[in-house]
Amino acid sequence: MTRGPLFHEQTARQRIAAVVDRGSFDELLPPPERLTSPYLAQLGIPVSFDDGVVIGRARIGGKKVYLAAQVGQFVGGAVGEIHGAKLTGLFKAAARDRVPCVLIVESGGVRLHEGSAGEIAIAETMRAIFECRALKVPTIAVIGTDIGAYGGIGILSTCCDFRVMTEHGRLGISGPIVIEKWMGKKAYDSSNRALVWKTSGGKTKYLLGDAEALVHDDAGAVREAIGKLLAKSSPVTLKNVKARQKDLEKRLKRFGKTGDPDDVWKGMGVRDVARASLASGPEFAAMAKAGRR
Amino acid sequence: MRTAETGARRRNKMERLERVGRLARGKFVAAKDVPAVLKRIIEPGDILCLEGDNQKQADFLANALASLDKKDLRDIHLVMSCITLPAHIELFKKGMIRQVDFCYAGPQGTAVADLVKARKFPVGAIHTYNELFGRFYVDLTPRVALVAATQADRKGNLYLEANTEDTPAVIEPTAFSDGIVFAQVNKIVDRLPRIDIPADQVDFVVEAPYPMHLQALFTRDPAAITEVQVLMAMVALRGIYEKYEVQSLNHGVGFNTAAIELLLPTYGERLGLKGKICKHWVVNPLPTMIPAIESGWVESVFAFGGEVGMERYTAARSDVFFTGRDGGFHSNRPMGQLAGLYGIDMFIGASLQIDINGNSSTVSTSRITGFGGAPNMGCQPTGRRHPTKAWLKAGAEANPGPGSSPGRKLVVQMVETFQAGRVPTFVEELDAAEPSIRKALHGVTPVMIYGDDVTHIVTEEGIANLAACRSVAERQAAIRAVAGYTPVGLKRNKRQTAELRARGIVQLPEDVGVRPSEASRSLLATQDIKGLVRWSKGLYDPPAQFVDW
Amino acid sequence: MEKFTKAFPSKPLKTTAGKPWALAGVVGSGNLEVLVERGGRPSDAMECHIETSIPGYKASWLAALADFAHHYPAGGTKVTINDQGAPPVLVTLRLRQAYDHLVKGSK
Repeated sequence: MTRGPLFHEQTARQRIAAVVDRGSFDELLPPPERLTSPYLAQLGIPVSFDDGVVIGRARIGGKKVYLAAQVGQFVGGAVGEIHGAKLTGLFKAAARDRVPCVLIVESGGVRLHEGSAGEIAIAETMRAIFECRALKVPTIAVIGTDIGAYGGIGILSTCCDFRVMTEHGRLGISGPIVIEKWMGKKAYDSSNRALVWKTSGGKTKYLLGDAEALVHDDAGAVREAIGKLLAKSSPVTLKNVKARQKDLEKRLKRFGKTGDPDDVWKGMGVRDVARASLASGPEFAAMAKAGRR
Repeated sequence: MRTAETGARRRNKMERLERVGRLARGKFVAAKDVPAVLKRIIEPGDILCLEGDNQKQADFLANALASLDKKDLRDIHLVMSCITLPAHIELFKKGMIRQVDFCYAGPQGTAVADLVKARKFPVGAIHTYNELFGRFYVDLTPRVALVAATQADRKGNLYLEANTEDTPAVIEPTAFSDGIVFAQVNKIVDRLPRIDIPADQVDFVVEAPYPMHLQALFTRDPAAITEVQVLMAMVALRGIYEKYEVQSLNHGVGFNTAAIELLLPTYGERLGLKGKICKHWVVNPLPTMIPAIESGWVESVFAFGGEVGMERYTAARSDVFFTGRDGGFHSNRPMGQLAGLYGIDMFIGASLQIDINGNSSTVSTSRITGFGGAPNMGCQPTGRRHPTKAWLKAGAEANPGPGSSPGRKLVVQMVETFQAGRVPTFVEELDAAEPSIRKALHGVTPVMIYGDDVTHIVTEEGIANLAACRSVAERQAAIRAVAGYTPVGLKRNKRQTAELRARGIVQLPEDVGVRPSEASRSLLATQDIKGLVRWSKGLYDPPAQFVDW
Repeated sequence: MEKFTKAFPSKPLKTTAGKPWALAGVVGSGNLEVLVERGGRPSDAMECHIETSIPGYKASWLAALADFAHHYPAGGTKVTINDQGAPPVLVTLRLRQAYDHLVKGSK
């Protein structure tokens, strides 16, 4: 049972190296440029040469892509001014050059120490993403760690055409602790990790159609999923938006009242919840598919 | 001169039982009557044993004791394995305790240190488990023992399930010396799955309103193992396990040894060590051993206690674990400690502090923890006579004199040079040697394992073979050589280190065939708890706080 | 935060091939990033710039870096470190990883 490094344990740079064609990555604004956050430095917080996001050009399966990977360990992957500007610039370049853009997400959202800059950058990046979508340039978010995609980055991830997730990935807007703080422990116990993953984890998101692929916790599997999605796009049309709205209304009607995430799993066709909980991503996807038949 | 009066002790027991009278129906006491019964069966001056170790606790009885007034409970000589619960501390705060003899105070270590400072902790001695169990038969025999069991039947037979632990060691000396044994149980049933303690040895039983507290003490989440710990584990595997062909062993509870367990089916397999090492274990049912067991590395495991969530797994692997006729897991702390003392090739564990002579301790002025069982296993038992390959090889290196044993048990300390927050592990003098601590302990420094007993120290810098050192000065130099960049390590002499390395007394990772750049978490058989459940084929039920699926 | 700079004597880098720079590690709790670049001066010293979040451990930093410069030919490199409380063993490990990437050009 020896295997390669798990995707969720790799660093941002290792993930990029393992996902793209061997040696094809060309980093933009690399560490020797020393573009570090002046705000963190003023506050006496350690800075990082890439400010928590690595961006550049590469190829996947021979196809040109633009690629960004956030560094979750560095202030929670949070978006500050430089981090945000790198993201915005990359997606703008993707639209300009008509090159698909992949974001390997690992971020709790905006960096509190430089909040306004982060907020604006996330909004500008969303605009660039929609520019890409209008041009049918595919945008893909990969969410494969427990830091996941939250806050502004949670929203930004759902703006992309597609989301690739693993069972370790989490996607949401407010984090579990924030939900508990506002709604009470009875409504949402953030220390109940099983509950947290059953509500925001990759398996549930895939089941509900919020993620298009649920893959092994492995860079090779992520690469394969990205490769398949690079040729597609999900245009923002009135018809698509209306259909999505209808879908969400249906979901609310079906599951809006339940307090048990297992009900959602069962309702979506998972017959054996205990077995499905332990299944790998692809096994889970197969079980859900079989159950829906 | 004292004249022998026949049966006085037995008569005194009868008097106590009579005082209880109708508060008990036969052996059975209602939960609400427990404080009243305790008042009647305990007398001032008694040696009282309150069962509680690092895992299971007679917590209902402890809480009932702590609810009494000092006028009802005073001048007590408390003997117990572990001071674990707030209720235990309460007894001291209320001034009920005349003397305490114990082994370990892990979770209450800070509270105990505070009690010592306030002079409210009249300690007799801190013991190792087997020492205290031994003294139960010598000069610390309990008059009253308050114990915990899973179930009792209508006759008062007890079922201890996976957590036998200290219970027989507490009950036997009490029951066979006219003492009173009072058991709290989770449930009273008509028929027990198996009888662990016969009703003959039990005086009172209460069905507690809540199940006894069980601590998941040995669950180590593989996700928290660092790449430095993986490196150390690789060094230990090559430099010690492989070198001495260690067949039988005990592992501590830390992440260092968890890393070794998880490397066996991967790195260990690659080194061709399967079947050559790590066959017989004296250790609790560690969840991180599941991959090695599933891969066929392990022939037997005997345990001091159970581990929460391992019940179904151990029952299903009855070829490896000791199980009862009911099919369930069985443990026994004194027998486990005995096995660990005499029966194994190696003890390997971690420590908070190691001094320049190789003495280790987990005690500081702000936290008094004690010993538990590590010194029983981490020592050289000169009463050992049976040879094994590892024992003879380690013995030969130690160059025994004409009047000493030809063998040595491998006693290995495995530590990172710095603890969390850059606190150095290696120090010139132990915090435990502080005068106020020594005074409270009647002049004894609470040393966990003495330097003379240690054969090897493993750090991320390499291995120091202390047994092979020929002088105190040489041993100190060997320790400095693996103490890295701590103040102790910075004082090393480069030439002397090179000389020790040439003699194989100090070995760097590359000297035992380990390249530090190879150390990676991806070498572990699994990287998280979910992986352990998958390895166990769904038989392991981890505690809720570890479940994220 | 504590900052310091020091050059350690080291034999010149053997190759001129490989990458112009290499980075190992990430800035996170108990971790650090190490950037190693070619083109430092002079060619018989490893020039180090350290920024660490835990002050008071200069002696152990200097000893660890001096040992590295002594064991590996790293003359003519510039080493820049952003540290968030990594233990010395990680300093050595990351330096080694970055150094290997630099001279072998491997990722």
